Amino acid sequence: MAANMYRVGDCVYFETSSTSPYQIRRIEELNKTPSGNVEAKVMCFYRRRDLPNPLIQLADKHQMAQSEDSPIAMKLKKICLKTPVGEEQAAQAVLDPALAAMEEESSELPGTDGLAPKQRHQAKHRELFLSRHVETLPATHIRGKCTVTLLNETESLLSYLNKDDAFFYCLVFDPSQKTLLADKGEIRVGSRYQTEVTNLLKDGEEDVRNSEELETLVWTPEHGLTDRQIDQFLVVSRSVGTFARALDCSSSVKQPSLHMSAAAASRDITLFHAMDTLHKSGYSIESALSSLVPASGPVLCRDEMEEWSASEANLFEEALDKYGKDFADIRQDFLPWKTLKNLVEYYYMWKTTDRYVQQKRVKAVEAESKLKQVYIPNYNKPNPALITSNSSSGKAPAVLNGGTNGTATVTAAQLCASCQVTNSNQWYTWGPQHLQYRLCGSCWQYWKKYGGLKTAGVFGETEVEAAKGPRGEGEDTALSVSHRPHRCTVLNCAKEFKLRAHLARHVATAHGSGEGARPVMKTRAAFYLRASPFTRLARRLTRALRRPRHYARSPFSPINLTQVKHECSAAMAGLGAAELRAAGAAAGAARVRGPVGAVAARLAAARGTPPATGRHDWLTLTPRDAMPHPPHVAFPKPPKAPDGSLMYERVLSRAEIEARRAEAAPAQPLKRRAYDDINGLDRGAREGGECAAPPPAKRPNKHPAPMQRPSREQYAAMCARAQATGQPLPAHVFTHVNGKPTNISGRGGRRHVISWMDAPDDLYFRANETAKVARRSLSCGELRRGARAPWRALRGGAAAPAPLHHGGAARLSAPAVYSRCTYPARPSPSPPPPPGTERRLYFW
Amino acid sequence: MAMQPHSKKRVCYYYDSDIGNYYYGQGHPMKPHRIRMTHNLLLNYGLYRKMEIYRPHKATADEMTKFHSDDYIRFLRSIRPDNMSEYNKQMQRFNVGEDCPVFDGLYEFCQLSAGGSVAAAVKLNKQASEICINWGGGLHHAKKSEASGFCYVNDIVLGILELLKYHQRVLYIDIDVHHGDGVEEAFYTTDRVMTVSFHKYGEYFPGTGDLRDIGAGKGKYYAVNIPLRDGMDDESYESIFVPIISKVMETFQPSAVVLQCGADSLTGDRLGCFNLTVRGHGRCVELVKRFGLPFLLVGGGGYTIRNVSRCWTYETSVALGVEIANELPYNDYFEYFGPDFKLHISPSNMSNQNTPEYLEKIKNRLFENLRMLPHAPGVQVQAIPEDAVNDESEDEDKVDKDERLPQSEKDKRITGDGELSDSEDEGEGGRRDNRSYRTPQPRKRPRLDKDGSTIKDEIKTEDSKDDVKNISSVEEPKKELPPNP
Repeated sequence: MAANMYRVGDCVYFETSSTSPYQIRRIEELNKTPSGNVEAKVMCFYRRRDLPNPLIQLADKHQMAQSEDSPIAMKLKKICLKTPVGEEQAAQAVLDPALAAMEEESSELPGTDGLAPKQRHQAKHRELFLSRHVETLPATHIRGKCTVTLLNETESLLSYLNKDDAFFYCLVFDPSQKTLLADKGEIRVGSRYQTEVTNLLKDGEEDVRNSEELETLVWTPEHGLTDRQIDQFLVVSRSVGTFARALDCSSSVKQPSLHMSAAAASRDITLFHAMDTLHKSGYSIESALSSLVPASGPVLCRDEMEEWSASEANLFEEALDKYGKDFADIRQDFLPWKTLKNLVEYYYMWKTTDRYVQQKRVKAVEAESKLKQVYIPNYNKPNPALITSNSSSGKAPAVLNGGTNGTATVTAAQLCASCQVTNSNQWYTWGPQHLQYRLCGSCWQYWKKYGGLKTAGVFGETEVEAAKGPRGEGEDTALSVSHRPHRCTVLNCAKEFKLRAHLARHVATAHGSGEGARPVMKTRAAFYLRASPFTRLARRLTRALRRPRHYARSPFSPINLTQVKHECSAAMAGLGAAELRAAGAAAGAARVRGPVGAVAARLAAARGTPPATGRHDWLTLTPRDAMPHPPHVAFPKPPKAPDGSLMYERVLSRAEIEARRAEAAPAQPLKRRAYDDINGLDRGAREGGECAAPPPAKRPNKHPAPMQRPSREQYAAMCARAQATGQPLPAHVFTHVNGKPTNISGRGGRRHVISWMDAPDDLYFRANETAKVARRSLSCGELRRGARAPWRALRGGAAAPAPLHHGGAARLSAPAVYSRCTYPARPSPSPPPPPGTERRLYFW
Repeated sequence: MAMQPHSKKRVCYYYDSDIGNYYYGQGHPMKPHRIRMTHNLLLNYGLYRKMEIYRPHKATADEMTKFHSDDYIRFLRSIRPDNMSEYNKQMQRFNVGEDCPVFDGLYEFCQLSAGGSVAAAVKLNKQASEICINWGGGLHHAKKSEASGFCYVNDIVLGILELLKYHQRVLYIDIDVHHGDGVEEAFYTTDRVMTVSFHKYGEYFPGTGDLRDIGAGKGKYYAVNIPLRDGMDDESYESIFVPIISKVMETFQPSAVVLQCGADSLTGDRLGCFNLTVRGHGRCVELVKRFGLPFLLVGGGGYTIRNVSRCWTYETSVALGVEIANELPYNDYFEYFGPDFKLHISPSNMSNQNTPEYLEKIKNRLFENLRMLPHAPGVQVQAIPEDAVNDESEDEDKVDKDERLPQSEKDKRITGDGELSDSEDEGEGGRRDNRSYRTPQPRKRPRLDKDGSTIKDEIKTEDSKDDVKNISSVEEPKKELPPNP
């Protein structure tokens, strides 16, 4: 609970794009919008990869300058520290030969000594740049907490590497001006800043300072009175004060009761006066008493609180309401007979009154939209980059069947691009589409959190290293990767450049296009395969291709192209041009079906209906009212308003719901709440027992409207489609919107609601051998039944593995479905995977 | 240094009943009224009757210009909310306007605050008191001719200047959550005042107070900065405060201490980000008090006023050596202390970003710096010569060259960055090789001081490598004497 509670001031990960790393932000404010969502006003931290390259280089040199005292470093420090450095300046500074020379020297952050190259590489991922840039993001995009601290020179970077989610920063980045600045003030040195230090007095020299001129004694503890005596005197002075109030006309009006007079006489001003009196009368109780009751009558001490009349108090409150705490204005326009000091004193005393407390309550309710913290549940949705097949990259088949590529990519793609492992529970596509890199689960997490790869070995690093020659040791690669080289995105080029400008030039010259300087991450490549006549011919001719269905089903299994070519050429050798054309044409020629009328007539004949000569009445549309009505309408139209418009039920915002609830419940006295449950959603969360602050579309719905449920027919259709395409059902079919998994074993349980926020993902089910065997053992009818009711275990008689492997396409995916809940309010009740499934279909 | 038990002391307390009614302006976090709230608590706790209570005089412009520049004080004296428009240029120059607004009675407020600290310092000088308290003071950001961070006149500097008449070395400790930059800057180049500031550092006002800011010139190593991160709790604070202060006392051997008790390091402060309780904050007072030196306590920051008055009340009781009840006595401001009406506050559950390792590293680095001070551990305490340059040669003659040099002698050879007389003659003829006799300055610290050293570096570009090589030999004392005094 505490881990998911995000407070103002916390540093958090924000996910704004599924493929790029998280953004790191610090929460400055949390505001509840009228719609009930929570918006976070955040301050941005930038990663190294977000900064323009020259600035990064400059930042590195600044670090060096910090750890060195060379004159060049000083020069740089001046550039860096005194004024913000812009991109051009930085680029210039980098080109400065003196500074360039520095590059030859080591270039690490302070504290990198003794780090392995890999650690050094990773340390760069932990560096952030503070900015004063503030933006507003929906709080639901928070993906976890992290810590960002100012790097201290005594710290080794290892202490950050050893801690998860720990970042550091040294410099401040201004994103609008593209400048860097050290976040550091300075102590100035010079006679204009330092004081002249007074000299020690010489022996016999007299200090001219005289305490009597500097201070007035008001009280001394050397009074010879006991505590008891003082207390007694205080009581006496209070009683004198009470009596004085009884005598005073204006007081007796204000304080009609004796209690009130006594309370007024007990205020601190009376006590201070009593102490002063004691002191002035030389701590003689006797004389102090007599001065409490001079000839003019008993002494009356009144502070502002008491001095003010009721009408003045009202004026003050009115003024406060109007002007706020601008006492000068209040005095001028409302209470000119008071001094400013009167007003200030009164104000602080007025704050202790009930009237203020009431006002504060009103304000507290108004300020309810400002939150101190928010609860964001763990985010468990799969990332779109997740590769959903467990054996191979999802994109490989397209390329393979197109016959464009060899097997090299396959092997490359099967390794994790970062750590080179081949085994992982999850795989994620990563990097530019055409390169087909993928990352294992842990490297993906690393990429999302730290914005880089664990190792520096990717992105053609080897070539860079080779180009650099013998000097290119680990450090250099670490450096080059951390600088995020700009790489050409044109297919089969992928050259790297240090500066974006260089890349732009390269693209313009080598590829003749002005664009593409920025690496573009395409989500999906659009392509189609256009079969040439020879391809078509080859399909006909070669035996290897005689299993088109097999290849269609398993597009990822490679086709031996050399064999195809060989057979093709062998077959073609014996044919003449005409025969070849005929063979090709036979494949390509469209079957002649005749005009539509003829087809219709044929169909009618097939149905046994005598061919009616004039009208084909069965071809006319069924009238609307004669259409069969579905037993259940999934999305019934809402009732119509008199003006013909549809009346949709209004979805209440949380604020409104709470307002209604509040209306219903009698107003409760507002109590000061503890820090952690101030007006937060957490309160709502606790009350509802459900997750808080989901986007409105996914709002927990206590009474799911029946209209949102797919009809039996739709459902069957979906299942059938899924079965037919070899896919398991899109998981969302089973996913209950409000985060509660649906009861899959039967339809009697919760109603199924499709989350319309999620488009069905592109999933497919790959049958392995056992599944295929099992499938074969089923009768056609059983298969169909299974397709229609995929949640039901197949009865498929003899086939023992069947329910496990096939009939349970749905069954199999059940645990996955469970864990895919959009907002799991409680731990997913995912059952242990059924034995025998070597891998599940989904892993999140 | 001898530690004294928690004992009863003669305590003088400075307060003017007007101070609570100055008002910085609408929405301004600085509220002088907290001083009055403290005062009322003191009365009702019965602490008032145990101290000498003084109403301070209003410091005169003459007194203030002991530190501040004349035109700055003249400006403060003449600026009023109704004539602000005539002073636009000066307001900018003296940084008066936003953080440091012009308010009614601004100058009087400064006079009272400064008057209290100066009177308190004089009191200590006259040995008429062991502990003086001025909660109206502690305005540690004010610069020589610039207002800063709600501070206009630096009463602390004025007080320390007064103390320096009788005390060779004065220690200034600052436990405000903000860096005590005004005081540090004022005494940045002197070795007679050591400033030790514990503060939040990093993206925080005033931006100074880096671990590497250690003073300049003669004052090198006499500025101690402890940069901390969010969420300091009592335990962590004590774990760094105790060793640092003990070490400072041991090496610097001050004869008077000034403690700035900014209460914005308390948990739940409107501007602060630490997590100290009143007890943890007061513990610092207790620890410093134990050294038994003439002790001036001043206020400072603190923007959640109910906690500020709690804190300063408790610290007054600590200074008096009197235990007071956790139950707050009834007073004019009682309602402020709801809902529990207790003296002590609980820390929040915020996370402490200061790991023990971090604090340990900071501490070690500061110890290294403190080791550079003339008083090395184990060496007999000696008075620092008034002017090291003048009597250096005489002292050296007295030293037996075959004996191991006393630390004081060694330290004299270590030239501060700013003291290098890197005049042109060094590059000339026969004198050039003299340089090799010079004990290289300690170059452990990667960062240069800002004073004058830039000039040196620009001239001696080719020498810097030699210097770097010499680092290793810093520890070994050179027997040869510098021929060029």
